[in-house]
Amino acid sequence: MNKKEFTVALAGNANVGKSVIFNQLTGGNQIIGNWPGKTVEKAEGFLEQEGIKLHIVDLPGIYSLSTYSEEEIVSREFIAKEHPDLVVNVVDASNLERNLFFTLQLIELEVPLVIALNQYDILENKGLHINEDKLSKLLDAPVVKTIAVQNKGLKDLFKVIKETLLSEEKKVPHIKYGKEVESRIEILVEKLKNKKIKLSYPYRFAAIKLLENDPLIKKEVNDPEILSTVKKLQEELKEIHGEDAETVIISERYAIASRIAESVITRRYMVKASIGDWFDKIALDKFWGYVFFILITIGIFYTVFKFGSYFSDLLSNWLEAFKPTFMQIPLSPFWDKILWDGVMEGVIAGIGIVLPYIAPFYLLLAFLEDSGYLARIAFLTDNLMHKMGLHGKAFMPLIEGFGCNVPAVLGTRIMERDRDRFLAAILVTLVPCSARTVIILGLVAAFLGPIYAFLIYVLDFILIVIVGRILNKFMKGTPSGLIMEMPRYRKPVMRIILKQTWIRLKEFVYIAFPIIIIANVVIELFALLNWLNPVANFLKPVVTNFIGLPPLAGVTLIFGALRKELTLVMLAGIYHTTNFASIMTPRQIFVYGFVTMIYIPCVATMAALKREFGWKRTTLIVVGELAGAIILGGLFNQILKLFMP
Amino acid sequence: MFNEIMPLADVSENTKVQIVSFSGGYNFVRRLQEMGLVPGQIAKIIRNSKIGPVEVSVMGSNLAIGRGIASKILVKVVYE
Ligand SMILES: Nc1nc2c(ncn2[C@@H]2O[C@H](COP(=O)(O)OP(=O)(O)O)[C@@H](O)[C@H]2O)c(=O)[nH]1
Ligand SMILES: [Mg+2]
Repeated sequence: MNKKEFTVALAGNANVGKSVIFNQLTGGNQIIGNWPGKTVEKAEGFLEQEGIKLHIVDLPGIYSLSTYSEEEIVSREFIAKEHPDLVVNVVDASNLERNLFFTLQLIELEVPLVIALNQYDILENKGLHINEDKLSKLLDAPVVKTIAVQNKGLKDLFKVIKETLLSEEKKVPHIKYGKEVESRIEILVEKLKNKKIKLSYPYRFAAIKLLENDPLIKKEVNDPEILSTVKKLQEELKEIHGEDAETVIISERYAIASRIAESVITRRYMVKASIGDWFDKIALDKFWGYVFFILITIGIFYTVFKFGSYFSDLLSNWLEAFKPTFMQIPLSPFWDKILWDGVMEGVIAGIGIVLPYIAPFYLLLAFLEDSGYLARIAFLTDNLMHKMGLHGKAFMPLIEGFGCNVPAVLGTRIMERDRDRFLAAILVTLVPCSARTVIILGLVAAFLGPIYAFLIYVLDFILIVIVGRILNKFMKGTPSGLIMEMPRYRKPVMRIILKQTWIRLKEFVYIAFPIIIIANVVIELFALLNWLNPVANFLKPVVTNFIGLPPLAGVTLIFGALRKELTLVMLAGIYHTTNFASIMTPRQIFVYGFVTMIYIPCVATMAALKREFGWKRTTLIVVGELAGAIILGGLFNQILKLFMP
Repeated sequence: MFNEIMPLADVSENTKVQIVSFSGGYNFVRRLQEMGLVPGQIAKIIRNSKIGPVEVSVMGSNLAIGRGIASKILVKVVYE
């Protein structure tokens, strides 16, 4: 064979370490985390080494080749239809039995297969050992032990991938069901062969899936005679076993997985209940669980605030100190304005106002993601979510929204149905992302005190629940229920956390900084051309008369649609100060903070919404939120007049 | 021994059960089965606060199952 380029897919259950392996092999930047559903789209990367080029594809987690949610369809379609040259089945060694259920289906699909026995460290900590040679014989596929987070075993993995790709050996399916099932598979295979049905899968795989009642394959076969044979065979199986055919097959497949797992695992010593089990008694308790959750949340925001405000002052003062030096450069007043007030103040705002809050926030978020705690919140809030017509899993994209709404909108794909997805996505756009956190902490907490910031968050959460409940009334359909594997707690790996934080920060610096600087220059130009006031006057009836904000604040809200943190940066740019208490009253600060939180999804989020749900529904969200923000802003303004100047 | 059949949602914590059947032919039945909750399988109830979801240990890992679904899974208690 002289082919030099190959497609290699990484497939396996959720949370087994596919994305870590992908990143290690390709140097890619896939999001990693200890919760199901963070990879919802396939990601592609390349590895060129020892004369071959691998096109590596990271897929969302999948439990079965029969499909359930949208992210799983991505994986199944890729594996079954795009015919990768090789599938690396990443397996959680410490959870072999369940993982093998999927492996067995890959074997049925007759794809060239390599098994990466990952998380081997966790297996060993449990006092267990796997005989990998025996496992390899039983599965008729090479098996490689790996500990992806420590970069162990990945060289071997590459070697085995290469060998397997270059060998021309063709595998024959060797794993057999009980004879009642097996004889019926054979009948169906014969039928499919005789009728020369064209399928993108092997006949045996199709026959098994037909007996399992897989709707997609049934549609593809679309031959009345075969489908009626399927029905007959299914009834026979039901007669013999007293269960539906699909139950029979799934049970038998699990029995095979158990048998294999049992025969390769040996116990070296016993381990007592883990700290995680003990911790779950608190984290999942119906009372203490919430207390703990609230404390964690407050703790995170308070830490970010303390850290952020300290460094914000430090950095702003330090950068402002360059002004006299800068002003000595002989320039015309016009360029003075553009370069210092436009460019430099943009830089100062980015470094001084935004970065100090965003960096620790990303860091703590990565910690939380890697710990396994997020799935516990999903468990805890399942009931609350049901009141909004969703279920606990919806909490994953909502939490992800705290970092950035854009991946969170895509993350709603872990919801099983379109209605649930759309509902979850609307709520996601109301979650204060890191940019809005900058505003709440850098403006409201810094100038009114942390307790007011806390109040804004509480108001926002109440708003989310109310909006959820109202939408649930209007969007018909009962919510589907929660079925989720609980990830184990993991000691967060520093290297991965730092990398995760760095990836997000880098993106922020590359994307946000130029926008901040350009916007700052533009607003400086507007000021020089005397264009600010006409715009402000145009917005005045709503912004000032109704919501009670200074007219120029309306201009910043326009820029905020580009990126939310721009509102604060523009405020500093227009008034040439970061002492916001000197330009707004406490009431205005509070209302401004709340309005920026909800008034519109930023442009990037709108684009994501449009991609996922189309123009119509995106426009609906934008208009709805704009109207909601104006009404609520006006309302709070009136109410607060009673307490605040 | 008394082996009454009851919904998973009604079983108390730290009890071992055997899956018997599912009430209703819902879409989630396939998913449950694929996650290891097949009839005949033994599972242990780890957590059941009678309001939130139920956590069961099956096939070596823990699953969280919403209350609605848990009340449609019929099981019988296994005494040791
Ligand atoms: N202890 C340990 N943790 C791992 C290993 N591989 C991955 N992880 C962790 O497992 C979690 C899930 O990893 P990820 O790559 O996002 O899983 P995916 O869902 O399969 O893409 C993360 O918290 C990783 O840090 C490993 O070999 N050992
Ligand atoms: Mg992943």
